[in-house]
Amino acid sequence: MSDTPGVLPRAARRNQSLIGVASLIVGLLAWWLITRTTHLPAFILPSPRDVWLRFVAAVSDGSLAFHTGATLTEILLGLSLGVGLATIIGYAVAKSRALERMLSPYLVASQAIPLVAIAPLLVIWFGPGMFSKVLICAMIVFFPVLVNTIVGVRAVPPALHDLMRSLHARREQILLKLEVPASLPVFLGGLRIGATLSVIGAVVGELVGADQGLGFLINVGRGQYDTALVFVAVFVLIAVALCLYGIVAWLEARALIWQEWRKE
Amino acid sequence: MHRRTIPFLASVALALSACATPTPQQVAGPLTHIRLPLGYVPNIQFAPLYVALEKGYFADAGLEVEFDYSFETDAVSLVGANTLQFAVVSGEQVLLARAQGLPVVYVCAWYQEYPVGVASKVEQGIRTPADLKGKKIGLPGLFGANYIGLDALLFSAGLSEKDVTLDSIGFNQVAALAADQEDAVSIYTANEPVQLKAQGYELNEIRVADYVQLASNGLITNEATLGADPTLVRQITSVFLKGLTDTIEDPDEAYDISLKYVDELANADRATQMEILRRSMQLWRADVLGRSDPQAWQNMQNTLLKMGLLKEPLDLSKAFTNEFID
Repeated sequence: MSDTPGVLPRAARRNQSLIGVASLIVGLLAWWLITRTTHLPAFILPSPRDVWLRFVAAVSDGSLAFHTGATLTEILLGLSLGVGLATIIGYAVAKSRALERMLSPYLVASQAIPLVAIAPLLVIWFGPGMFSKVLICAMIVFFPVLVNTIVGVRAVPPALHDLMRSLHARREQILLKLEVPASLPVFLGGLRIGATLSVIGAVVGELVGADQGLGFLINVGRGQYDTALVFVAVFVLIAVALCLYGIVAWLEARALIWQEWRKE
Repeated sequence: MHRRTIPFLASVALALSACATPTPQQVAGPLTHIRLPLGYVPNIQFAPLYVALEKGYFADAGLEVEFDYSFETDAVSLVGANTLQFAVVSGEQVLLARAQGLPVVYVCAWYQEYPVGVASKVEQGIRTPADLKGKKIGLPGLFGANYIGLDALLFSAGLSEKDVTLDSIGFNQVAALAADQEDAVSIYTANEPVQLKAQGYELNEIRVADYVQLASNGLITNEATLGADPTLVRQITSVFLKGLTDTIEDPDEAYDISLKYVDELANADRATQMEILRRSMQLWRADVLGRSDPQAWQNMQNTLLKMGLLKEPLDLSKAFTNEFID
């Protein structure tokens, strides 16, 4: 199955990595050139060097590690809560049309809520501590994971269900041996989206009201016209999102090793 | 009105206007467009600007003004970059911006007193800054006027942030205090206390201005505009001060004018909104409207240095000027 999308020979993969690195270098060069030619002041567009120096300073004084740690904690807790709830509710909805009809207005509405607008209310209701940020994060993660869980569970071929039943498989055996493995590819697709969105959720909460985290650092940078610091925080957030995406992709590769095209 | 009287009246008006001596500020030709960021949503507190616009003071000076309600820090950056020429911002922003190399200059003091304070329910017994020791204080975040005013208040009592618990609660001070989530909250003295009192809460208020004079909200421009077009700076300053004077002299008229510019003001409780305007006016009044107090700038710099928001003292003579105040 050498024509399966996503499967590339080693040399081609190395070339693709090189293209990625080259694209990054070109991007940095373009950024540097813009700052050189336009002479924009650093508070409007800092140069890559300004941002690098600010990054080094923030690492040296420990502030970057502290705030990144705070945001990561919120992300991981929010992700766990959001994924946990979405998986349970998604499975239940996939198995029950009645439940789907009952919950779908709320579930769709939950996706339509502009979190930026209600985040201040969550801070009032649940206090300015970490919980309100975790909740916002969980809310943003919830929907993509929920939808993919429902789609994944419903995509299990009925013939396989019949086969399991003919073998007198118990309910938990059907779940663990059939439904979980069969729905895992779609579920993990949702998790990929949810993991990257969780970063946005945490930062939205921090921007509304926080005294720690990368969102707070962005507020401080804006408040002190330290645009380089804003860039540092944004780049760290991008790095966190990429790492989370990479971790889910790695998990996917490990969990779905049985997929034929992955063996090649 | 009879149709034939209209041309007659028009010709009389034309003749009278031809005889009238034009004021120095009347400018012929196309109007200069000015986008003026105010740093907050449309509000009765901006009445002087609405009055100046409605009464045609901007147009008389050859200016066509467009109010902009975007964030204060964005406005400072845009003025610093000379993308915009003017903005209304708080005094500390000028020093913080100049420390980062933004060439902004404060040219007209609107608020003579710093508008921030601390409000608490009376049962908390917080009457002086010293009473804040050990208390949990809510504020929008560790930035902006609420933060700086609160720290200035703590410093005035020999306290620091270590002596209190600061909670970053966003702009939720009214709800947080009403729900007893905080012992006290950092507020704008003309705004949140009025809203809380309107809801029946009895409050103690500590005004920053009663303990330390700090450079407050006013009009800024940039060094490029000051150098290239000082006449424009003088015109806009003059227009703004006329609107301010008119508002102080007749707040009821200013309120009625503001109805046109502030969405939902017509549906709001007039007594509450008038109280907000009245309290704001207390912060604006001065012997010479628009004039900056050099000591207030020095105090602001000292506060920012103590907070660590400024690393070293700035040349304050470049940060503000009274050159355009008559």
